[in-house]
Amino acid sequence: MVAAKKHIKIVKKRTKRFNRHQSDTYMCVDPSWRKPKGIDNRVRRRFKGQIAMPSIGYGSNRKTRHLMPSGHKAFLVQNVADVDLLLMHNKTFAAEIGHAVSSRKRIEIISRAKQLGVKVTNPKARVTTEA
Amino acid sequence: MAEQHSNVSSDLIWEICRANNAYLVKRTSGGGVQFSRDPLNLVNKHSRKYAGFVNDKAVGIHPAEKGGVTMVTKKTKHHNRPAANKNEVSWTGNKSGPKIYKGIVNYTAKQGYRADLRQEAVARASAIRRSSQPKKEVPEKKLRGSKAKKAAEKDSS
Amino acid sequence: MTTRPTVSIARADGSPSGSTHPLPAVFRAPIRPDIVQSVHTGMAKNKRQPYAVSEKAGHQTSAESWGTGRAVARIPRVSGGGTHRAGQAAFGNMCRSGRMFAPTKVWRKWHQKINLGQKRFATTSALAASSVPALLQARGHRISTVPEVPLVITSEAFEGAAISKTSAALGLLKAVGAGPDVSKVTKSRKLRAGKGKLRGRRHVQRRGPLVVYNPDTDGKELVRAFRNIPGVETSSVFALNLLQLAPGGHLGRFIIWTSSAFAALDDVYGSTSTPSALKKDFLLPSNIVSNADVSRLINSSEVQAVVRPAKGGARTKRTGVQKKNPLRNRQVLLRLNPYAKAFSEGKLGQEKLDAGKPERAAETFSEILHED
Repeated sequence: MVAAKKHIKIVKKRTKRFNRHQSDTYMCVDPSWRKPKGIDNRVRRRFKGQIAMPSIGYGSNRKTRHLMPSGHKAFLVQNVADVDLLLMHNKTFAAEIGHAVSSRKRIEIISRAKQLGVKVTNPKARVTTEA
Repeated sequence: MAEQHSNVSSDLIWEICRANNAYLVKRTSGGGVQFSRDPLNLVNKHSRKYAGFVNDKAVGIHPAEKGGVTMVTKKTKHHNRPAANKNEVSWTGNKSGPKIYKGIVNYTAKQGYRADLRQEAVARASAIRRSSQPKKEVPEKKLRGSKAKKAAEKDSS
Repeated sequence: MTTRPTVSIARADGSPSGSTHPLPAVFRAPIRPDIVQSVHTGMAKNKRQPYAVSEKAGHQTSAESWGTGRAVARIPRVSGGGTHRAGQAAFGNMCRSGRMFAPTKVWRKWHQKINLGQKRFATTSALAASSVPALLQARGHRISTVPEVPLVITSEAFEGAAISKTSAALGLLKAVGAGPDVSKVTKSRKLRAGKGKLRGRRHVQRRGPLVVYNPDTDGKELVRAFRNIPGVETSSVFALNLLQLAPGGHLGRFIIWTSSAFAALDDVYGSTSTPSALKKDFLLPSNIVSNADVSRLINSSEVQAVVRPAKGGARTKRTGVQKKNPLRNRQVLLRLNPYAKAFSEGKLGQEKLDAGKPERAAETFSEILHED
């Protein structure tokens, strides 16, 4: 497996999730983000002490966007032919095996990835058993 | 574009096939990457420069048997004869790497075929050769901590 | 214009028969994916069958609104009593067992009328694209074993109903190098995703080659021979259909022509100057740009002769360079202000300092100033 290309430090400006306003108060309000639209809404009006709203300013540096901590970007693969696409990109992309791929094919994919020096992000799924 | 009709050009073909074609692999992950399965694409990247089926001159490099390398180039003369449109050169795995690369450079760059693809062609050939070599086994992970060692002993006994 | 390019005619076993045919003018037609796509979306709608929900659905109750004052919504409610249904809301699209919003009607506009000129343009465009190997590959056809594109097989192979059995047809396809494309189709057969499975469209598969024949000379037996080969379709040269020439609106269908069908193309479509013999008032569309090769156009001496030289000389714009403060960095200062060198060497900035204090004004000056 080849280490990723050198890159500048990955800075995440915010690691906490943006939860929907009042999702902490009510069970029926799902935490997935919805922008408040109400005319009097204090979150929308950005009052002091309110939750923060997502905005473009939280975006990552373009050079480190989509990078995993290893420095690779993930590329979803379903079969061996998909892994072969990464032959020339094993420093920038890592293979991620799709969730519905059987364990038999996973073994083929992992061995091919090893030959090509491609990192697999989920090599243990369905292949190793828990002790 | 020796005998291609005047209504067709690689520029036009690229504009037609750019948004979607049979070789194109699109993913939303990783910022929407686009790869290409084109056998005449040296870096598997969907781009005008590397698109082998679009350009009149293109180079493809594939693994051959026993760690060898095969290079395929497009003939410019018979653009409408797909069966007779290819040149193939093979090197066996016994040849040393630099010799193969020199051969590739001779074909692609020095004859003025596709000088811009020299580096990519050599890089691909070398990547293919590296992939055909046997890989080291990953050493088994050592157990960390005395408790884990004891548990492992217990299991084995 | 140079000599017209020719297409060699293959024998039934795939070997060249030696005879050739000049390329019909229709293959020089402009390739316009935008027109083909828009015509295709229209044409694809013309096989639809009307469907709709029942006219009565959701309205088979005598519900009536309770009006205001009952502290419930004013939606119609089922009348009566003695059942749970009584008092429940009805009719509205938001109601349980109400009708849907804007119930579908059988008189929806199912079919599209497309202008004949556009349809003909699209067909010629799709035909022209079928002679470009790159577009065939981009559509996904396996043509690496095909001797020539467009692929023309001599009509002698079909004479006297020679190809009337599927095995003969399959043998012919394999002999002329279309075997990989056919086997690609056979392997591609998969269960369709979604509800279409239940509606008579259980499987999906790719499209293979389209065999175009001339019914007058080749007969119609070959239709039966080819029709059970997966993905292979047949069409008379006099009734070419865009849905077959550009399936999905994607240009570049792999077409296998019989030589008599190929020869008939000039009759069917004519050329840009001679009208078609079979289509009324039809001339082939001509290309707006006679040479589609952009790099050749740009590098042509005609264009190069009239372009003016690039402005600003041979300077490359430096992007991503840190800005330097000219007050601190002397080299940058000199670049911005060439006079700075003479200024500092001549100590021009010090001139006033060296001159000493200015002379005091005369006594009378302040007197005049303060005079009342």
